[in-house]
Amino acid sequence: MRRKRRLPLAVPICTSVLTILLVGHIWPNSASGGADDAVPLGLPPLEAHQRPVKAQVELGRKLFFDRRLAFNNTNSCAMCHIESQGLTSNQSARAIGMEGRSLSRNAPALYNVAYQDTLFHDGRESDLAQQAWAPLLSPLEMANPSIGHVVDKIRSFEDYRGLFEAVFDGHGPSMQTIGDALASYQRTLLSGNSRFDKWYYGKQDDALNADEKAGFEVFMGKGQCATCHTVGEKSALFTDHKFYVTGIGYYNAIGAGSRVAKVELAPGYFIDMKYEDMKSFSAPRINDIGRFAVTLDAKDRWAYKTPSLRNIELTYPYMHDGSLSTLEDVVAFYDKGGLEHDGERALQPLHLAEKEKADLVAFLRTLTTAEDQAKHEGYR
Amino acid sequence: MKKLLKSTVCMLAMVAAGPAVTLADETCNSPFTSALIKGQEDFLHVWTLGEVGVGDESDKLVTIDVQPNSPTYGKVVHSVSVGGRGEAHHTGFTDDRRFLWAGRLDDNKIFVFDLIDPSKPKVVKTITDFVDKTGFVGPHTFYATPGRMMIQALSNKDTHDGQTGIAVYNNSGELVSVHKMPLENGGDGYGYDIGINPAMNVMLTSSFTGWTNYMMDMGQMVKDPDAMKKFGKSMIMWDYKSMKPIKTMEVPGAPLEIRWSLKPEDNWAITATALTSKLWLVKQDEKGEWQAKDVGTIGDPSKIPLPVDISISADAKGLWVNTFLDGTTRYYDLTNPEAPKEVYSKKMGSQVNMVSLSFDGKRVYFTTSLLANWDKKGEDNEQWLKAYDWDGKQLVEKFSVDFHAEKLGRAHHMKFSAKTKAAALGE
Repeated sequence: MRRKRRLPLAVPICTSVLTILLVGHIWPNSASGGADDAVPLGLPPLEAHQRPVKAQVELGRKLFFDRRLAFNNTNSCAMCHIESQGLTSNQSARAIGMEGRSLSRNAPALYNVAYQDTLFHDGRESDLAQQAWAPLLSPLEMANPSIGHVVDKIRSFEDYRGLFEAVFDGHGPSMQTIGDALASYQRTLLSGNSRFDKWYYGKQDDALNADEKAGFEVFMGKGQCATCHTVGEKSALFTDHKFYVTGIGYYNAIGAGSRVAKVELAPGYFIDMKYEDMKSFSAPRINDIGRFAVTLDAKDRWAYKTPSLRNIELTYPYMHDGSLSTLEDVVAFYDKGGLEHDGERALQPLHLAEKEKADLVAFLRTLTTAEDQAKHEGYR
Repeated sequence: MKKLLKSTVCMLAMVAAGPAVTLADETCNSPFTSALIKGQEDFLHVWTLGEVGVGDESDKLVTIDVQPNSPTYGKVVHSVSVGGRGEAHHTGFTDDRRFLWAGRLDDNKIFVFDLIDPSKPKVVKTITDFVDKTGFVGPHTFYATPGRMMIQALSNKDTHDGQTGIAVYNNSGELVSVHKMPLENGGDGYGYDIGINPAMNVMLTSSFTGWTNYMMDMGQMVKDPDAMKKFGKSMIMWDYKSMKPIKTMEVPGAPLEIRWSLKPEDNWAITATALTSKLWLVKQDEKGEWQAKDVGTIGDPSKIPLPVDISISADAKGLWVNTFLDGTTRYYDLTNPEAPKEVYSKKMGSQVNMVSLSFDGKRVYFTTSLLANWDKKGEDNEQWLKAYDWDGKQLVEKFSVDFHAEKLGRAHHMKFSAKTKAAALGE
């Protein structure tokens, strides 16, 4: 649903706090065989470096859910990538970290993260084992003061005694083994075998109804969604792994005009509230220039990575900043051509009919994996 | 065991005679609390949030001399830091009133202070496994029952949303039982406050929001439609002895503090909804069934004045209501609880949160902090305690303590204490 657009000239160089915190450590390729190579219907085979190391998975899961890994023992990876909320958080547009600090972006859903060439919305990291250290050390997220602090803390836990040594050839907790274990667990978070997969790749004609099939036609054709959310002949990750602008980033950073929030004070009871009337209790928002903070290339200002659409029904709110709550909102956003970016529309309007929009949403809901939906059922 | 027996006797006396026999102390304490203050309180303890850039930046219990005859009247006489910032919030006395339990909503630590010498509270126990033992996050309300401390949490460890429950500890700090907030029969799973009416064997609970919201910057939250959907809209009446819900009442807009009328013949409690700015009365109808009724608005709801703490007078004829965002306190005539009437208001500052009223109704104390990331920013982030006399017509300031000038932090929950013979506290 996105179209690439070249952007003129530079803006003042500004890098985000998270970028500054990038861990510049060079890792060996630690992923290796040992796990089953089978993947769910509709996903491509995992290449060697994308596969989890089976023996490390349980340890990685333990680390992933361990709230003690935050400096103040209150947050784990799983508190922003919540198992029952689409491996993101359905509770807020932007993620909330240490002592309630605000991150600038929505927590990305982790389904099929094993296939990602680059990580984070701006693609600033290239390896899952390395990526783990950014949130562990970011003052906004888990806020540990140093790598050594994390390593020593895990070493001190009785319930980890011997676990690392057993799966890392006698090596205990270290920057590398902690990252590797977390990566192995995350590489198991595969989402496929949806109704769409059964229909498109499994040739099960009744897996989708007529509206959903019509929605797929819109997705591939008039909606131009598949330009970026790619669908292959044998598999589909619904992402091209590239970076685009939609106008949202520009709007957040520069967009003119007074703003009004429609605030729901109780179910069905809304009031309009001006942003300027909220200044006294609003912290300044961290400026976010997107991919530019990684490349310093002017065309990457406010560009963000194409997300996968797997389990999209479960991973609300949407967009890199969580600013759209529903799939209907997202379709309407692209239908009107996104937002203005540097004085013009970031995208071309689609002019979809209401039926086409409804069918498109119906199709997107066929990308849900039943097992993940079951985990989501308990969340209200 | 001896203490438990003593507490039980105290409870039975309360049940038999009704809470209104109490002639001193704060009006909002659990009715099971013994060793009550007779007359003028001597000290005010303020559970204070550590603040970046202020003093040692750590949460602390600050003790202020409030005895007018004392040479240190109106001064900070003691402060004990507990280390770090964990979102210090509310406190509650044990039933024997010797110990003050103080919770933190972020790191979930619970500190037990011994008040045998109320001028120098001392930490004697720290509970660090609240989350592991209960699965809940955000120990909020500390409510004494005989030999027990009932703790209403706000969130949970798996999702940090508002699904939560009540944990019951014994006075030694050991977990006794956990009770999830119901999701059946209209329950939304949220929790906030506890109010027990022992004479009627009922417990009333209210509902707020989970960790993600109460830790988030308030401006960000208000602009976030998904976050704003995550507030409670229920109050639940429970059978206190069996801890079983009797009825769930729909009270939209986050009903917070619960105040029972302390008159023995009354059968009602009142609360305020933070988001919708309304007063709600929970009362038995003519058939004896509990009903929640919207009985009035607070300020201009369209401007979200954000009513927060409320404090009821001992005779149930008056109610103080603080509205955080406009920094105003309001006094309501509750003579007819079905139609509360605002009869007085005063702008206290840029923000005001807690209000504590003495049992004789003559002294009223106010503090500023709501939640670290909900407090106002910049110059509007005033942090103080202010003490007033109330003559029924106006508030007259007696003293104030600037918590920033004193390098203390964000002033939040208040509790009274008095110089008491040690024997009265079980020594």
